[in-house]
Amino acid sequence: MFLNTLHLWQFRNYCDQWVEFTAPKTIVLGENAQGKSNLLESVELLATLRSHRAMRDRELVLEGTEEGRAAARLERAIGAMDLGMVMRRSGRRTLVANGQTLKRQVDFLGLMSAVEFSSLDLDLVRGGPGYRRHWIDTLLVQLEPMYHHLLQQYNTVLRQRNALLKRHAKSDSSCLNSTELAIWDAQLATVGTRVIRRRARAIARLAPLASTWHSNISDHRETLILRYAPSVPMDADDPEQIQQTFLERIKQRAIAEQAQGTTLVGPHRDEIDFIINDTPARQFGSQGQQRTLVLALKLAELKLIEAVIGEPPLLLLDDVLAELDLNRQNKLLDTIQDRFQTLITTTHLGSFDAQWLKSSQILTVKAGEIIENEP
Amino acid sequence: MQELAQALLDAKKQVGLCSVCFHLSADPVCEICRAPSRDPNTVCVVSDSRDVIAIEKTREYKGKYHVLGGLISPMEGIGPDQLHITPLVRRVNQDNIQEVIMAISPSVEGETTTLYIGKLLKPFTRVTRIAFGLPMGGDLEYADEVTLARALEGRRDLDMG
Repeated sequence: MFLNTLHLWQFRNYCDQWVEFTAPKTIVLGENAQGKSNLLESVELLATLRSHRAMRDRELVLEGTEEGRAAARLERAIGAMDLGMVMRRSGRRTLVANGQTLKRQVDFLGLMSAVEFSSLDLDLVRGGPGYRRHWIDTLLVQLEPMYHHLLQQYNTVLRQRNALLKRHAKSDSSCLNSTELAIWDAQLATVGTRVIRRRARAIARLAPLASTWHSNISDHRETLILRYAPSVPMDADDPEQIQQTFLERIKQRAIAEQAQGTTLVGPHRDEIDFIINDTPARQFGSQGQQRTLVLALKLAELKLIEAVIGEPPLLLLDDVLAELDLNRQNKLLDTIQDRFQTLITTTHLGSFDAQWLKSSQILTVKAGEIIENEP
Repeated sequence: MQELAQALLDAKKQVGLCSVCFHLSADPVCEICRAPSRDPNTVCVVSDSRDVIAIEKTREYKGKYHVLGGLISPMEGIGPDQLHITPLVRRVNQDNIQEVIMAISPSVEGETTTLYIGKLLKPFTRVTRIAFGLPMGGDLEYADEVTLARALEGRRDLDMG
C-alpha cells in the first residue's frame, strides 16, 4: 500500500498542513519538538486507532481548538481509499472512509496498516508487562479488527467488576450480591478467554518470524524464544478448558480480590517472555541484545501483517535509525528496500547512507510547518 | 407557548409508572397490562419504556412487558436493587408466567443484566432471549464484523420441517 497524501488540520501542533509523499522513503528532518513525531503519530492513529504517545484525544487536538482532523489518501491493491478521522476534546471520534461516516470503529481498522518503531520501543524489553500487552494488542487489532471490539468489551467488564469489588471493599457491611458477582465472573471468563486465545494465536504466528530475524541479525549467535505467559494458564487451545481454569483461578483469589477491591485474574495481567539463549532478555540482555530483539520483533510484525493482508504495510521509524549501529541499520534497510513505504524522522542526515538519501524524499519540519527540500 | 408549557406540566403531573410493569402510564395500571386481549402468560423484559414503544410498533408481540428502568452497571452505582427486578420475580411467581423473553441490547451491561435475571428466573419458568443478527435486506458482505460475529454465534440448526 502507498500513502499518497496526508492532511492534518488542528492536529497536535499543525494548523492546516498538506503533505504529499512522492517516494517509497520519506525522511522527515527537524529539530526536537517541531512536529516530526506528530506526523508519524497521525499515520499510526489512522492505521490502528491508537497512539503510543497519547492517552486521551484531547492531547491530539491543537491547543485552543475543540477538534482536529487527520485525513489520508491511500493507494491499495484494491484501489484508492480516503480515510479521515475527527477527534475532539470531549473524546468523541468520527471516522470516515471513502466519504462515508462509519458507525463502528471496527470497520475502519484494517483499511490502512502500519508498523511503528520508535526509541520508546526499547521499553518493550526493559519495561513492565503493560508495554508488551499494548504491543501485541496493537498488532492484533490490525490482524483481526474484531479484536478491537473484544478488547473494548473486556475492558468494560473489567472496569465494571472492579467498581463492584471496590464498592464492597469500602463499605463495612458485607452486602456483596454474590449472584451479581458470579455473573461478572462469568462475563470476565468468557470475554477474557477470547482475548487470551487470540493473543496466543498471534504470538504463535509471530514467534517463528521473530526467531528467524533475531538469528539473522545476530549472525546466528543467538536464539530468541517468544513465550506467551497468560495469567490464566492454558494447556491447549480449548475455550471450555481455559474458561474453566479461569473461573477456578477467580475462586482461588476471591478473598484477595474482595480485600483489595480489584480484579487479580485475567488477560490484563498477561505477560510475554522474551528469552535469548535460555535467559530472560529483560534481566540479562545487554543494550545491543535488546536492540536486536526489538528490531527482530518489528521486522516480524511487518512480515506477519504483509502475510495476513497480502500487501506490505507502512513502516514508521521514529527517531530510531540513528540509534541502531551500522550492521543493524543495514539489515533493516535491506529488508525494507522499496517494498515497504517508510517514513523516517531524524534530527540530522549525517548517519544516512548517501545512496539512500538520493532516492529518498526529504521534508523539513519547523514549528508545525512542513517544507519540501529541493532534491 | 403557554399551552406547550401547560402540556409539559400536565404530562409531568399525570404520567407515572405502571404499578405492574413499570411502563410509562397515566393510570396506576397501564393499558397493555389491562388489555384482556393480551397473553398474560408471556412477559417481555426490556430496559426502557422506549423499547416497549419500539416493539409495540411491530404489532407482532401479543404478550405483556416488564420495564427494568436501566441496566446493571456498578460504575454508575446501579445494582440489581436499583432496577425493577424484585417485582419481576414476584410477578413470575404469582402470575403463572410461562415464558420470559429477554429483549435487552447485547452490550456488556445488557448481557450481565440478561444473565442475572436468567439465573433468578430459570428455576421457575422458561427464559428466552431475542436473537441478534443481520438486518433484513442487508447483504452479508456489507454487514459489519461485530454483527456478523454475533449472528454466527447465535446460529442454529436448519429447520427442515
